[in-house]
Amino acid sequence: MKQELKKNIDSLMAQGATYVDARWYPTEESNSLMMWNGNLKDLSASSQSGVGVRVLYRGAWGFSAASSLEDTAAIFGKALDNARTAAERVDFPVRLAEKDAVRASFSSPNLIDPFTVPLTDKLEFLRMMDAKLNQPGVAQRVAALDFVKRQIVFLDSEGSEIEKTIIDVFPSFQVMGVDKDGEVQARKYKSARLGNTRGWESLDPEYFSATAERLVRELNQLLVAENCPKDERSVILLPGIMFLQTHETIGHPLELDRILGYELAFAGGSFVRLEDFGSLRYGSEKLTVRADATLENSPGSFGFDDDGVPAQNNLLIDKGILVGAITGRQMVEEANARAHRQIFSGSSGANRATAFYRVPIERMTNINVDPGTDGDLNDIVRGTERGVILDGEKSWSIGSNREQFHFATDIGWLVEDGEIKGVLKNTTYKGDTLKFYNSLSAVGDERTWEVMYVDNCGKGQPNQIMQLGHGVPVCRFDHVTVGE
Amino acid sequence: MQHNVIALLQELRAYALEKGIQAAIFYHEEESYLMRFANSAISLNTNEHLVRLQISVFDGNRRADTMLLADPGQIEPLKRGIDTAAEMAGFAEPLSYTPSIPVYTESVIDMQAYDPFLACITNAERLEFFNTLARGLETEELKLSGVFSNGITTTAQISTESEHTQYFACTDASITAVLSHQTLKWEVNALQSAQAKTDLDPERLRGELAFLVRQYSEQPAVQLPLGKYTVVFGAAAVGDVLDMLNWFGPNGGMMKRGYSFLSEAQLGKQVFSPLFTLTDDPRCLPTYPVSRDLMGKRRERFPLFEAGVLKAFFWNQDDADEFGAEPTGHSVYHNNLVLSGGEKALGSLEELAALPREEDILYIPYLHYMNIVNPTAGILTGSSRFGALLLRKDGSVAVPYNVRITQSFADLFGERLAWLSREQCAYNVSNSYGMRNPRALLVPRFLCVRGIEISHSNSSY
Repeated sequence: MKQELKKNIDSLMAQGATYVDARWYPTEESNSLMMWNGNLKDLSASSQSGVGVRVLYRGAWGFSAASSLEDTAAIFGKALDNARTAAERVDFPVRLAEKDAVRASFSSPNLIDPFTVPLTDKLEFLRMMDAKLNQPGVAQRVAALDFVKRQIVFLDSEGSEIEKTIIDVFPSFQVMGVDKDGEVQARKYKSARLGNTRGWESLDPEYFSATAERLVRELNQLLVAENCPKDERSVILLPGIMFLQTHETIGHPLELDRILGYELAFAGGSFVRLEDFGSLRYGSEKLTVRADATLENSPGSFGFDDDGVPAQNNLLIDKGILVGAITGRQMVEEANARAHRQIFSGSSGANRATAFYRVPIERMTNINVDPGTDGDLNDIVRGTERGVILDGEKSWSIGSNREQFHFATDIGWLVEDGEIKGVLKNTTYKGDTLKFYNSLSAVGDERTWEVMYVDNCGKGQPNQIMQLGHGVPVCRFDHVTVGE
Repeated sequence: MQHNVIALLQELRAYALEKGIQAAIFYHEEESYLMRFANSAISLNTNEHLVRLQISVFDGNRRADTMLLADPGQIEPLKRGIDTAAEMAGFAEPLSYTPSIPVYTESVIDMQAYDPFLACITNAERLEFFNTLARGLETEELKLSGVFSNGITTTAQISTESEHTQYFACTDASITAVLSHQTLKWEVNALQSAQAKTDLDPERLRGELAFLVRQYSEQPAVQLPLGKYTVVFGAAAVGDVLDMLNWFGPNGGMMKRGYSFLSEAQLGKQVFSPLFTLTDDPRCLPTYPVSRDLMGKRRERFPLFEAGVLKAFFWNQDDADEFGAEPTGHSVYHNNLVLSGGEKALGSLEELAALPREEDILYIPYLHYMNIVNPTAGILTGSSRFGALLLRKDGSVAVPYNVRITQSFADLFGERLAWLSREQCAYNVSNSYGMRNPRALLVPRFLCVRGIEISHSNSSY
């Protein structure tokens, strides 16, 4: 198949294309198990295979994909036809940042391939989780395991040839109950990444058991808790909500395609402008953020992106100042040209597609907040006069340029004079992005830092779901509106 | 085409029967096209041809599924999919109920939502459509974005319980056009949904965009004070809220699990304003209907709210099996929601802006990034975006920066609901995260609610 794809790439180049790449998925397997109140509602396996072809012709992109490989020449031909039409309306002819032609392979680290694990073992793990969640106060309980294994062969007209095998495991569970006022309360958990690998061995039964017990305990506290007061307070975000805050209000606004207006018809734009790089005070000096695609144990690490650029670890925000963006090969060239200065020295290796039938776009890798020096959670609480500790993503809604947000969390704890006073339900907070990050007053140290995963980040048209990670510590922000 | 699909399903059914496996086989084929515009250029032009098979195997109260995205010309991998599902079902934890396997009692070929002319639309026609709608509106500062997404979706089903097959084909198109100001960062948009080629009307989109551009270019921008407003929502805002209500409201399974803001005790009771009538209407072609659900049950007109009274919960087969309810023909990829129009004769934004008014009216055509804050109370939140206007009682117009509303369904559709426009339009809510599933709602172009609380107001675009 590789020879056939290379022949087609050469053929398109001979017809006037200036760049061609093909992503062939020999197989992508997934396996899902979901138990709801003890009922195995989902037991499924899926597999997919096919090829996606991207062509650059007179500065415009064309793309075509098919699950049938019976006539690969036709798929390449359609991609070129699509590019020819696109070339009739070009504003800024696409140029690609330089890269080295790479012949390499990447396998995500794992000790035990989950697709070699017997189904009975997976079911036993799920039953264990379900039993732990089946406790008084719990009206609904859901435990789920998702496994994915993706083989990707990348070939391009610049001589790159990359083979990747990526394995990931996504465990999650949640409990729900009805509180004293008849309202639904829930605690959800997507596991923090444990260890340095991404296979079956990353599921630690003892850890899950202890976490399930904690969540059930917290749910029962929620069922008798008081409402979050409507107030202005400090909020102390635990990793279970800080990852989403980072995702929505640092990750998305720093995607360079959004900044350049490529998402305006759907996901929105960004309040960040090209002239902001190097000068915008995004947050307080305590805020340092990086895009690290080299983190071993996270789904935001992939070896090489779908431009064939090696994974990197780049600063985005350095002590509060905006210094970098999430980029692929195309956007850095356009951004530099539009800004009339070199902001970016090359692709940051973050162009990814969710499947063979989608085109690569700028996606988050692992957007991590560096741990700080303000101790652990107890230390931060001790230094907080009037605050609320928040955890668990319940709902999130963000302005179209990511300039403001409203989050609801599963649970909160009232903090008065440096002490935790009790559990709060229906906790919400909102703010303006820059004002919020500039109010960052405490960042927990490495003991509070956890790598959380996101397995459902949506973006792009046609829409794409992407998996990625966020390493985040406990953070405190001041003067925040809560309870609204 | 039909013959090939049906022959494939029959061959797979024969294989399952030969192996003594009880199975249902669901076929999905999409031919998708998407022309995407950004910065006044075509930023991407794609097409995908994908065939998916979902195989559900039943073994008493055990069930397992395989899903394959593969080459339909290669039959052996598809047969292996049946074997895999059967093997998994053998290990499956028994359900507390017995899941129903589809029994198709007659063969159905349903092409009612398929338009051969839309099916054949070309790259050149898609480009011409956008050139027409943007003619004379683009400038150095005002750039065009948008998408022209269209496709053909073919679905078909068979099960081992009978030799009958169901076959459905559908064409759809969804157009979004955005004009955005490069330095001021405002955006206006216009939307269109099509089931047939004759639904495509670039001149209408051009007219809507031209009116909004004129307002945004000539009228002052303002930060709205927080507080209560009379708000006229556009079709997109209404459609997105109803799409969410459909999930968290009259959904039987969600209600039984405690995630609905409605309860069985409210059946037959006044829940919303008498102006509010919402129906799941599979006769409504602009919403891409099918005549049978995935279980073979005939789809019928299904009132959800009549004059504000909750008439019924809808039940898909699996939820009905689990909770002992009667399935209502809602084992479907999507409902076909229709919100009845009201008395207000109002067909365009220009007409709305020209109406004499006794109070300020905030027009919000689109709510961005909505989410449910509290499912039991039915509280949602979202921000305005794209073309909001403040229509002042003195007849002047201003352009408000984005605002946030956090309100309940009852706030929106209850006693504060003032009026709905008579004219309706299709609002397309399709997404393509996975397999193509064209979805649209038919809603009034305008819906007015008094006393809507603005809880956050941007100080700039």
